[in-house]
Amino acid sequence: MKARASRSRRPALFPTSTSATRQLRKDFRLFMKPFDIVIVGGGGAGLYAAMEAMKTNPGLNIAVLSKIYPNRSHTSAAQGGANAALANKAKDDTVEMHIFDTIKGSDYLADQDAVEVLCSEAPKIIRELDNMGTPWSRMDDKTIAQRPFGGAGRPRCCYCADKTGHTILQTLYEQCLRKGVFFFNEYFALELSVDGSRSRGLIAMNIKTGKVEAFPAKTVIFATGGYAKMYWNRSSNAAGNTGDGQAIAYRAGIPLKDMEFVQFHPTGLRKSGLLVTEGARGEGGYLVNAEGERFMKRYAPEKMELGPRDLVSRSLETEILEGRGFDSPAGKYLHLDLRHLGADIIKSRLPQIREMCMYFEGVDPIDEPVPVRPTAHYSMGGIDTDNFGRTIIEGVYAAGECGCVSVHGANRLGGNSLLDILVFGRITGRAAAEEASQFNPSAIPASEVDEKEHELRSFMQPRGHYERYGTLREDLGHTLGANVGIFREASKIKQGIADVESLRERFGHVRVFDTGDVYNTNLLQVLELKNMLDLAETVAEGALVREESRGSHTRTDFPTRDDEKWHKHTIYTYDGGRPKLTYKPVTMGRYELQERTY
Amino acid sequence: MSDSTIQHHEESRDVTFRVHRFNPQVDSKPYFDDYTIKLEKGITVLRALNYIKEHVDSTLTFRAFCQAGICGSCAMRINNMSKLACTTQVWDELDKAREPGVIKIEPLRNLPHIKDLVVEMDPVVGKMKKYSNWVDSRMPEEQWGKKEFLVSEEEFQIYDKATDCILCASCVSECTILRAHKEYVSPVVLLRSYRMNADSRDGIHDQRLAGLVQDHGVWDCTHCYRCQETCVKNIPIMDAIHGIREDAIERRGTKDTSGARHAEAFMDDIEKKGRLVEATLPIRTNGLAWTLKNLLPMAVKMIIKRRTPPPPPLVKASKGIQSLRKEMKEMASHVTKDHEKKSGE
Repeated sequence: MKARASRSRRPALFPTSTSATRQLRKDFRLFMKPFDIVIVGGGGAGLYAAMEAMKTNPGLNIAVLSKIYPNRSHTSAAQGGANAALANKAKDDTVEMHIFDTIKGSDYLADQDAVEVLCSEAPKIIRELDNMGTPWSRMDDKTIAQRPFGGAGRPRCCYCADKTGHTILQTLYEQCLRKGVFFFNEYFALELSVDGSRSRGLIAMNIKTGKVEAFPAKTVIFATGGYAKMYWNRSSNAAGNTGDGQAIAYRAGIPLKDMEFVQFHPTGLRKSGLLVTEGARGEGGYLVNAEGERFMKRYAPEKMELGPRDLVSRSLETEILEGRGFDSPAGKYLHLDLRHLGADIIKSRLPQIREMCMYFEGVDPIDEPVPVRPTAHYSMGGIDTDNFGRTIIEGVYAAGECGCVSVHGANRLGGNSLLDILVFGRITGRAAAEEASQFNPSAIPASEVDEKEHELRSFMQPRGHYERYGTLREDLGHTLGANVGIFREASKIKQGIADVESLRERFGHVRVFDTGDVYNTNLLQVLELKNMLDLAETVAEGALVREESRGSHTRTDFPTRDDEKWHKHTIYTYDGGRPKLTYKPVTMGRYELQERTY
Repeated sequence: MSDSTIQHHEESRDVTFRVHRFNPQVDSKPYFDDYTIKLEKGITVLRALNYIKEHVDSTLTFRAFCQAGICGSCAMRINNMSKLACTTQVWDELDKAREPGVIKIEPLRNLPHIKDLVVEMDPVVGKMKKYSNWVDSRMPEEQWGKKEFLVSEEEFQIYDKATDCILCASCVSECTILRAHKEYVSPVVLLRSYRMNADSRDGIHDQRLAGLVQDHGVWDCTHCYRCQETCVKNIPIMDAIHGIREDAIERRGTKDTSGARHAEAFMDDIEKKGRLVEATLPIRTNGLAWTLKNLLPMAVKMIIKRRTPPPPPLVKASKGIQSLRKEMKEMASHVTKDHEKKSGE
């Protein structure tokens, strides 16, 4: 099936970039000029970056690499919506209020200049998505509908039922197809090739052929999403959210930032950890303990169920720890009660949630309360970038959950993650497009590719004593959940670090049983596990060092926020296999440090 | 189903997964492997496969990503029906198994096979590109981001369900036309085309429609409803296909393809006689020249075998045709009223 040359409105000034020549370039890229931009990851941030780069300079050769088909990316799982002070619903909403809510939500760890960019770009980006076809839910006056969300002072979360991320991702993918962006689907990124302080491009494996290939590139954008899957069974994330981009960048010498901050979402389904959107509470759902009490009134009397996520998660965990949870073989849990909303609202506004509850828990929220407990959900930390997505290595960018600008600080507000990937995806795409026309990188040495190929092969060698990656993966999730979870304390975290250390040692014995080249998912999952192990160390180390409680990071042995000592970002640099910690000040602005109450 | 649930009420049992295996580097042809594992009730097929991959046979290959029914990666044929492994309960499948306790798992059909349960998805993406499955905004790109379009909730409702599509390709796998013609547009692309055409923000409605009425386009569908039946998101795909057809006749008349003319000839016959005038049907659908060229030999054979349909004058109008006509007229007036109502809003 040959695709017809895609129509585009690109001016004919750039004959080097016709569909046919790009196809040629795709086939014989090793012998040709480097790509202008290689984007790793085809989620919201990656696709927006690709589209914006295409718009900035239609003559650029842009490749989007993704280990899955881009339309499968985890952006699709974002249900709730994206915040923007459109003031469609609450006429008195302003960008300033959005900025303040975000900074307060971050427990003042967010860089205020970055938050200002995020929130002031928000209305524009939501309208832009509308202009390119995202099916937003509408209000009676035909404008984009908005609903209340946790930690926000006004209802400013724009949504499409409970499939917001899905529809945004589809729209961006469709627009990228329209613009003729080149997709390298099912390529797994392995390594960044660095020449001094400048990148030469990327080395990746073609999953369908097993071949290790070089992608010489003037600029590389990492947009690979988060790393919260390291909590494995106690995570709401997709199986592939293993922090590949962060791990590659980290090993290439790019610092990571604020890795200890992992957000736990209050309402994961009991058995699978899958997420019940905050929208369910936004629509008016109650959280109830085994005594039938709406316990949030004791923790956030004003906002109740719509407090910020870290607070609500801690409240749930406390209820469970203090014995007011329900008991089941799959663990203790609480109830999210939607029954009072009525069948109509559940069916029209939360259809996916209803479906999920029925598939994975066997519970219909119209008739029964939903069993929930907190689940690892979002990684605030990531690759350290400036406000344009740039990292310390020239030509390397990061955007979205993969990067850390930082706009979420110690705790992200619901509805700000989609916004983050869109706004910073776009900014990064434009920045990379502008830079790409200025540089010409040196070629990636063939030896680097061979070395990588050899490394992959070595996993397949038969060994006397071997480990299965599946067991290691589960153990990693277990130890992180128990020791570096919602409530942390020094002795537990030290246990966690020791466990991760021993898991890294056991990883040396992992054997890949599938020795074939074609679509070797066995090898892939082992490589993903390696990335998770590298990052898990930074998460645990950071959690141990930060002796305070801030946002999602709660130390029972240091229960208060310590602005004097810890109002700063943690920076991790790869140093001989171990993270070296340094610090970076938080950029302040209009808003002074305040106590954070809801 | 209630009977069989009683049959499988036990909390845990041995289940055999009969999985389609094929590694192009080693195997000359596909075969089936049986994996028997002990499972607890409430487990999904995907989790069972994950268990097999992690603990029994790591070479078993399938796609999976979100595990929550929203990414569409893990579509496969389970007991001869395409569906998502992650949202399918093993116990439900046990009820449908032909051989007791054995669940058959195969890759999707109608797409090139890569390995075990993995198929090539590029053809679907290629068709999405071919049929412009995107909103080509009426607003020039330079003006994007300044103003939102005003869209009514009623319009949103028209394509709301269609935007649920996660491109899992279950409908592609079950489509009976694709089995015969790989070039056929495919249900998913029709669904998405319908969604784009219904969007008032889109500016290439006519152009997209012109592509859809070509050969291997919307008129090739035989209304078998398999796509709708198999859709993992319960999207009424056939409604979308009918929607495109109605739209095509309304905007372009019946000149485009034999499919449209065929439909019109049927309509004529039913109105006039209440039954088909088969002898002239090919002429009205494909023209006289085509019929003489392609159907004359068959017609001769039919005459020899005395299997010819009655000549047109002998096809008598059915009894009660008057009331049928009346009913049809009424129906037509209802439809026009509905249309008027819609456009009035």
